[in-house]
Amino acid sequence: MSATLLELKDVTIRFGGLVAVNGVNLSVPEGGLIGLIGPNGAGKTTVFNMITGVYQPTAGSISFRGSPTAGLRPHALTKGGMARTFQNIRLFGSMSVFDNVRVATQVHRPHGIREALWRGRSHHAGEKEVEERVMDLLQVFSLQDFRDEPARSLPYGGQRRLEIVRALATQPKLLLLDEPAAGMNPSEKEELMHLIEFIRKRFGMAILLVEHDMKVVMGICERIAVLEYGIKIAEGTPKEIQVHPKVIEAYLGASALHE
Amino acid sequence: MQLFLKAPRALLLIAIVAAVAAGLCADLMNPYYRGVVIDIGIAIILAVSLNLINGHTGQFSLGHAGFMSVGAYVSAMITLALRQSMGADQLAWLFLPTLVAGGLVAALAGLLVGVPSLRLRGDYLAIVTLGFGEIIRVIFQNVEAAGGASGLSGIPRMTGLAWTFILAAVAVYVVASLVNSTYGRGFIAVHDDEVAASAMGLNPTRYKVTAFVIGAFFAGIAGGLFAHHKTSITPQVFDFMKSFEVVVMVILGGMGRTAGVILAAVLLTLAPEFLRSVAEYRMIIYALLIIFLMIARPQGLFHFERRKRSSAA
Amino acid sequence: MGSSVSSKPSLPDSSARFRHHLPPNDLRRPLVNEISQQLVNGLALGAVYALIAIGYTMVYGVLRFINFAHGDVFMLGSFAGYYLAPRVAQWFPLPGWAGWTLVMVLSMVICAAIGILIELLAYRPLRDRPKLTVLITAIGVSLLIEYTCQHKAVFGASQKAFPDLLPAGVFKLGGLSFNTTQFVVLGVTVVLLAALTFIVKKTRIGMAMRAVSHNASAASLMGISNTFIISFTFGLGSALAGAGGILYGMTYTGIDPLMGVNVGLKAFVAAVLGGIGNLPGAALGGMVLGVVETFAGGMSGVSTYRDGIAFAILIIILIFKPTGLLGSKQIEKV
Repeated sequence: MSATLLELKDVTIRFGGLVAVNGVNLSVPEGGLIGLIGPNGAGKTTVFNMITGVYQPTAGSISFRGSPTAGLRPHALTKGGMARTFQNIRLFGSMSVFDNVRVATQVHRPHGIREALWRGRSHHAGEKEVEERVMDLLQVFSLQDFRDEPARSLPYGGQRRLEIVRALATQPKLLLLDEPAAGMNPSEKEELMHLIEFIRKRFGMAILLVEHDMKVVMGICERIAVLEYGIKIAEGTPKEIQVHPKVIEAYLGASALHE
Repeated sequence: MQLFLKAPRALLLIAIVAAVAAGLCADLMNPYYRGVVIDIGIAIILAVSLNLINGHTGQFSLGHAGFMSVGAYVSAMITLALRQSMGADQLAWLFLPTLVAGGLVAALAGLLVGVPSLRLRGDYLAIVTLGFGEIIRVIFQNVEAAGGASGLSGIPRMTGLAWTFILAAVAVYVVASLVNSTYGRGFIAVHDDEVAASAMGLNPTRYKVTAFVIGAFFAGIAGGLFAHHKTSITPQVFDFMKSFEVVVMVILGGMGRTAGVILAAVLLTLAPEFLRSVAEYRMIIYALLIIFLMIARPQGLFHFERRKRSSAA
Repeated sequence: MGSSVSSKPSLPDSSARFRHHLPPNDLRRPLVNEISQQLVNGLALGAVYALIAIGYTMVYGVLRFINFAHGDVFMLGSFAGYYLAPRVAQWFPLPGWAGWTLVMVLSMVICAAIGILIELLAYRPLRDRPKLTVLITAIGVSLLIEYTCQHKAVFGASQKAFPDLLPAGVFKLGGLSFNTTQFVVLGVTVVLLAALTFIVKKTRIGMAMRAVSHNASAASLMGISNTFIISFTFGLGSALAGAGGILYGMTYTGIDPLMGVNVGLKAFVAAVLGGIGNLPGAALGGMVLGVVETFAGGMSGVSTYRDGIAFAILIIILIFKPTGLLGSKQIEKV
């Protein structure tokens, strides 16, 4: 396997007396596609929020691209090459589809207040370049026809896709998807799996997928880690996970009955 | 706004030339009307600058009059000090630097107020900015050099139509240029969803403080113009009511819609003038109007179609 | 535009404006006495803040917005007392305990009705609108009340002398000496706070209030009428503000239509100080603020900054403990 991109070592977080995540180890190799699953309330999103700097772990360490992320705020981590989506979609609702993606390109741009105020040649060149990049991205995800629509007017699936596009516009090395299949029907989930594989091929980044839905994860992930009550109970290939007794007990047992 | 985006610098230039031309013909105007028009210009600067903080960046500030008072006092004190040693002609040359000095000190106050905004939102921020405004007022009331409770008077009347509208044009240009750039869309992103903005690599802290500093700078400029227009100022002038008036302009203008906010500034400055004949009911009508408009037109006076933000780069 | 926060008489900061401030023959008290006397004054002022602060906190609890007009309801309570007193005096002698009780109760009822009416007319049409809109409306309502009351056909803008409702006298309690007014202010506040605690903690309607405050939509699914609870909350908070208005009038000579602005703002500060939405917090915040302000007002060099102190405290608290003294820490859900 190739070099490690993201590494969690004994990561623990407490909220008051509650230990939400306890001693979790996880590593994501460059270009890898890793799944993080577990029943509701297992601490998946909390792990996510620690990786992206929203919460600081109480103990343990996280390193990204070889350097520790402790104390770094989310925007700094994004600048360093991490981008995420949210479980409950968080688009910039009043802004157009185009602007949602456009604003995400700012993170690596040298242009700031000065260019915006002076409106000189370099400003116009820069804005043109942004427009081209954004339109390319929108086209790839067939959102170009909605460019001037307010983001909140998009249908649900469109909003999910837009969130991914927006994350991609920050040019991440690691894309973190937080329950992207939430609220989707089976055919939409199918589509989503293709989309994720496509993104990985086309943009060549690592993806960490937090998911509640087993099918999505089993279908595309190379490795899967399973959380329960804040503890990692298993890790391995989808095949290994499927037969792992602890996982079946904790998770598959209940959900397999439903399927 | 579409027009603005095509040729912003040319428009700014035209506005400045028009302001200078208006300034040259100002003597032909009835002084009362001239005064009202200057009031309008000052209101535009205040409303547009608060719009950056409140409308675009979504930081509900009730302390704009505080920033205005800092600019007013600093520039008035500079002018009064300079007058000891120079004539009116020399003083006129120094008017712009004096105003800018007032604006810069106000911007510093904006930096101070911007910092708590990093941790507070919504009503909490509103009440803290209100508190800051009141504290600034209490300080001026107690500073000997600022004239204490009786304030400063005998400030030379140097604010004319030309300076007022040149600076109003600059304020509009600055805010509109900022917001209509990829960088400036970050202000709106912070408004819409701070957590998401941060996840997209935008530093919400930076954007909020920037909005406060730029907004306070122009409020300070407006204060300087105000001081050299009214020729006397007291701490009471810059109270909570003054801040509230500006907030109402921003809201009735449609929060973040530059043209609407300018129009609201014009209308709300003119309204009391029209109500002069019913002076004793004026404020009662004003209050009723605000309640009515908030219930009937919460999106602003000029909101007729679905909100759509222009995306032309 | 018109009058301003500052042109209103702020709380009196010199003892000359206290009606029953100095007990006779006691002008050269030692320092300890001076301090304890200031403490009593501070607590009396704090009690008024506390009564008003509770109204802010309760409304914030159920509707999540700052009812800016609450300070004006407090003012109306004072004026209700001012106009009721001569009429009540026709049946019960004033100053006197029976007459005082009647004035108190009637003012509270009037204020409760006004509070409910304000909610009905101005805030109810705005339910589910952005907070900002409601806040601006509340400020509009506040201005409407202030300017209407300032009109010469209503109360007029000038200051009025609040009538004597209780016989003068001095109580000694431990090392502290209270005049009748201060004693009653503190006593009434304690009684009202106890009654409020009982209502909120022990009665069905109090339970419903807490439910709405915790989660309005869930409460409504449980069959609680939000509309009724909100009205009730406004009524209860306004009644307390009305009581505060009478107690304020009894403590300080002058009342005027703009008195609610400064007192209201500070009471709001007290509510935030204690952790908004938190009833004991509001009472504590009011007391702390009253005492701090009174002591600061007594210190030379600081006294002129008195009006700024409340806000300085507020800002410091909010920066270091944004949820207030008794508020609990919140973790933002992402």
